[in-house]
Amino acid sequence: MLGLPLAFSAPLVLGALALLPVLWYLLRITPPRPRMIAFPPLKLILDLQPKEDTPARTPWWLMLLRLALAAAIVLAMAGPVWNPKPVTEAGKGPVLVVLDDGWPAAVQWSLRISAANDAIATAARQGRTGAVAAVSDGARDIAFSDPVKTIERLRAMKPMPYMPNRMAALGAIKKFLAANPQADILWISDGIAAGDSRGFAEGLIAAAGNDANVRVLNASQLPLALAGAENSPSALDVRVLRTAAGGAVQGTLRAYDLKGLPVGETHFAFSGDTETKARFELPIELRNEIARVEIDAEHSAGAVTLLDSRWKRRRVDVVSGVTADVSQPLLSPSYYVTKALAPFADVREPRVGIRDPVSAALDEHPAMLVLADVGVVAGAAQDKLKQFIEDGGVLLRFAGSRLAASTDDFVPVRLRRGGRVLGGSLSWDTPRRLAPFERESPFYGLAASEEISVTRQVLAEPEAGLPGKTWAALADGTPMVTAVRRGKGLIVLFHVTADTTWSNLPLSGLFVDMLRRITAMSGESATGDTNATASAEGQANRTETVAPTRTLDGFGVLGDPPVTAKPIPIDHSGVGSADHPPGFYGPVTALVAVNTLSPQDKLEAANFQGLRLDMQALRPAEPIDLRPWFICLAFIALLADALASIWLGGGLRGLRKRTPGRAVSAAILAVLAFGAVEMTGAPRAHAQMQFDPPSSRGQFDLRNMPGQRQQAPATLGNVHPALATRLAYVITGDAKIDEASQAGLMTLSRALAARTALTPGDPMGVDPSKDELVFFPLIYWPIVASRPQPSADTVARISNFMKQGGMMVFDTRDAMTNRPGDAPTPETQWLRRLLAGVDVPELEVVPRDHVVTKTFYLLDNFVGRTTVGQTWIEALPPATEDPAQRPARASDSVSPIVITSNDLAAAWAADSRGQPLYPLIPGTNRQREMAIRGGVNLVMYTLTGNYKSDQVHVRDLLERLGH
Amino acid sequence: MVDARLLDEDESGVQASHSQGALDIARRLPSLVVAAKQVAATVMHGVHGRRRAGVGETFWQFRPFVWGEPTTRIDWRRSARDDRVYVREREWEAAHTVWIWMDRSPSMNYVSSLAAQAKVDRALVLGMAAADLLVRGGERVGIPGLMRAVATRNIVDRFAENMIEEARRKAYVPAELPPGDTLAARTQAVLIGDFLSEPAEIERTVHGMAARGAQGHLVMIADPVEETFPFSGHTEFLDVDSSARLRVGEAQSFKAEYISRLAKHRDAVRAVCASRGWTFAIHRTDRPASEALLALRMRIEAEGGGLLQGSVA
Repeated sequence: MLGLPLAFSAPLVLGALALLPVLWYLLRITPPRPRMIAFPPLKLILDLQPKEDTPARTPWWLMLLRLALAAAIVLAMAGPVWNPKPVTEAGKGPVLVVLDDGWPAAVQWSLRISAANDAIATAARQGRTGAVAAVSDGARDIAFSDPVKTIERLRAMKPMPYMPNRMAALGAIKKFLAANPQADILWISDGIAAGDSRGFAEGLIAAAGNDANVRVLNASQLPLALAGAENSPSALDVRVLRTAAGGAVQGTLRAYDLKGLPVGETHFAFSGDTETKARFELPIELRNEIARVEIDAEHSAGAVTLLDSRWKRRRVDVVSGVTADVSQPLLSPSYYVTKALAPFADVREPRVGIRDPVSAALDEHPAMLVLADVGVVAGAAQDKLKQFIEDGGVLLRFAGSRLAASTDDFVPVRLRRGGRVLGGSLSWDTPRRLAPFERESPFYGLAASEEISVTRQVLAEPEAGLPGKTWAALADGTPMVTAVRRGKGLIVLFHVTADTTWSNLPLSGLFVDMLRRITAMSGESATGDTNATASAEGQANRTETVAPTRTLDGFGVLGDPPVTAKPIPIDHSGVGSADHPPGFYGPVTALVAVNTLSPQDKLEAANFQGLRLDMQALRPAEPIDLRPWFICLAFIALLADALASIWLGGGLRGLRKRTPGRAVSAAILAVLAFGAVEMTGAPRAHAQMQFDPPSSRGQFDLRNMPGQRQQAPATLGNVHPALATRLAYVITGDAKIDEASQAGLMTLSRALAARTALTPGDPMGVDPSKDELVFFPLIYWPIVASRPQPSADTVARISNFMKQGGMMVFDTRDAMTNRPGDAPTPETQWLRRLLAGVDVPELEVVPRDHVVTKTFYLLDNFVGRTTVGQTWIEALPPATEDPAQRPARASDSVSPIVITSNDLAAAWAADSRGQPLYPLIPGTNRQREMAIRGGVNLVMYTLTGNYKSDQVHVRDLLERLGH
Repeated sequence: MVDARLLDEDESGVQASHSQGALDIARRLPSLVVAAKQVAATVMHGVHGRRRAGVGETFWQFRPFVWGEPTTRIDWRRSARDDRVYVREREWEAAHTVWIWMDRSPSMNYVSSLAAQAKVDRALVLGMAAADLLVRGGERVGIPGLMRAVATRNIVDRFAENMIEEARRKAYVPAELPPGDTLAARTQAVLIGDFLSEPAEIERTVHGMAARGAQGHLVMIADPVEETFPFSGHTEFLDVDSSARLRVGEAQSFKAEYISRLAKHRDAVRAVCASRGWTFAIHRTDRPASEALLALRMRIEAEGGGLLQGSVA
């Protein structure tokens, strides 16, 4: 009726609506009760005759209410029904109900069943026989049975979790129609093109012939589906599909883990397209837990996507042993590793400047830890790392000069100190190529590119079992990648650096593939058996099958697999089918997911255009008798009318008079006033606290002071060290030495201020065990052998300071006692013990062309109180071919350490009038001046780095610019 | 829309039924008494009476003896100190009698939403306040037909007691007008009510009371609604002391006629007063009571020629 699914069981009663105008007229002339007003001076006007006594009219809204009341009663009497059942005319032959039962049919399944039910029951009432054919039955014969059994069978039917091909069922239907040429066909379609719906429809028409009646009940609500989940670096992306015909515009996706606990939810919205993307932006650990994603309130197998370990992303932490230098990322060993891992793992690097990066990285629970040229793992980190590997973590190490110089437990093979250089000026070898990968190697199958060359590597000590640990080797058979199982975990060592200094492997695509294989092992190593993993990867292509564990039913619920489900090969990549229903296959530890839709699938609505079909929509709901609602409405209107009449007649005033209105309003006022006082009073109280008089604030400060004093470093005093660039020295505890350091650095600071652009603040004594060192570019440390060694924590702080770009100048002051060939002096031994826990780079005596000798003055060596001692500094990379062109050489960063024995500070030290404080050996003014110049050079080197070595090219650069 | 109603039985002033007893009254009366005293106090500070010499007890002044006066008036003690002869004058003190009558008829039990107080409340407050004021000025005050004139400090309580006493009587019917008994000469009457009775009845009462030359003051209490007639629409008016009722379709059409009739009625009452030299004032219950009391006091004072002199002292 009027396009609405509304019908009346007694439509004649609606004629009573014609009486409404009469009612309107009657109501118009019946006025409401007048107001009653007592009026003492009534006597004065009692004799007056009303001039005009037309009764007041009933207000329009009251009239409307009463008319609505009458209309509601009339409509209720007419027996309105919402969604009336369609009336079907009787046919002659039997009725065949063809039922789509693929996953899209799950959306309105109960409606489909009840529609089929109605068809069978109606046929039975008309004395016709009926039969049901489900599409998934395929070529099975269709047989009549009595209606009760047919309906029972209908009730037991469930949608299938896959998309059956309808054409398979067409043969049986043709056979049935040949036997019953007069049959009526009712096809309850799911409205999806997949499964060849158009071909099936054409086949039905052809089989039914010209006179047969083919009725199609098309789905009124089309399904949504999920496909193609993808775990990208930042989020889990899922494609949400719909048919072009429409469907829900937005909705919610929920993600569950393997136990069915909700992990996250997200929203999706279609904007005109048939496909949209939903993102789960969750931490990687949570995303890896997701095993099932489904559309909320969309109960079908297609609205569920299952995820197995192929979708997991592993977290990899990369720690580099090299001094952090963010301005030159290409030189950082971690750069290539990070880039190579990024496509398939979540790569994290510890914050720059963190004290113990290995511990910090392990605290993030990575699946794999990459150590790029970290020489020593010591202290608490060592235990943590051991635990990490025992628990199944993978440690991937890269060699480098630091690793070559030291050994610890975390290498798969024993390493020779030093390593070898191939193709250098002193070696007769050419750079080596990679040998093809062995069959046992996890890298088997990757092509060992000819372009890869290795110029330097660390060497493994030959020992028994070395070939078994070797995953990759050079052409001459020396191991290139070695690995060993330890506990549940794995240690892998690349015998080259992670950057390009030793080989060009990190630049190749092979590097990415190798890392991918290692990363894949990091996931399974936690659960897999101990030594088979390496070979299992190599034998991946043998045909192993896994049995179904949990499968989806048509409604998208995981349950026990049906008996018809068959195992799948382990590398199965298709969508679910009758034999392989979608679900999880294999053991719980290594599940393989089979989905209803393939990642590239699209949903299309069935196209029946131009076909001679009787299309009807699937009736969305049961009929609803609206009569009680109309009666209820009429009753409410009646009550409202009564109330309105009483109100108009002034009947409510009597009620109001007796209510203690004043008391109530007074109470409300009081409450409001109290609230206002509360609100205005509270801020005032706060304000008072803020603007306390100074005296009371002073007391407050005093009370809190002791705690702050304890925290503040005693030697830093009130001057915050970050306010100015300043030199610092380590307070040794020996008063004489400290005095000399203070005076020496003071003189040096004055010299710097007088001669250079730098105006340093006053030097400061620091205690490395307590004070923050990060503010100082250079710290001078005179070694006093009689002092106790600093604690391991302090050593870690020192090491950290050096890694962050600070320079430590250790002064052993033993040039006079130290003779070549003698036993080391106590100071030297003390320093060696101190540096045992620090990553010290390779050192050399300051070469004549080192940039530190050129940064401000041109110097030959660094002298102090003595001139005979040598000064050590981080070794420069090997000289280039053309040393004549480069008067100064520099590494890519500032040396973190300078070791001298010439007692620099004492040579610098002078009082406030410039008079030297200590005698020099041999002792000339020239020597004192050279000592100051050496100090200036050291400071300028610390602050400017290799700038000066580039500066020598300025003439060439200017010439080039001139052209 | 303006709302108006009649007071319930238990709401109306000193009128108490037998069943309700004195408790209900006591609940209401103290507030009236206090209100009356407060209003009186305000007025005493508002206007200072001129002090005059006259018959009285307290010393007023010495003045030189004027030839022809009785020599008995000479104050010899004062005159002995001087060559002149002085007369001691006393402050004029004369105890007058004022009769105060308050209308407590049903038509007074009326209050509209525009008014501050019911008419009867206002009448009682006004009357008792006037009594308090007068007694403190040295006058004697009574209620005609109910209480003889006395000059006691607790005159307000006495008024209340007597009125409760009267209201407790079985056959008590509050009268619309005071009993028309003739008052003595040189007494004053203060009549407070709404005076909606026929002008002829009012005339009879006033003439009766003033037959021997008593002066009087009428204060007509009116609810704002009674003056402005702010009604409209379909309305049925009920009389308060009779069963008369008037149903009108359009109440607003009666407004002009009602107001002219009310004015005519008031003119008639005013004429009645004027014919005996009485004063007439109209007081609306949306105005403060002290305003009416002040006006009343001024008139009593003018009438009595310093009746309230010394009330400040």
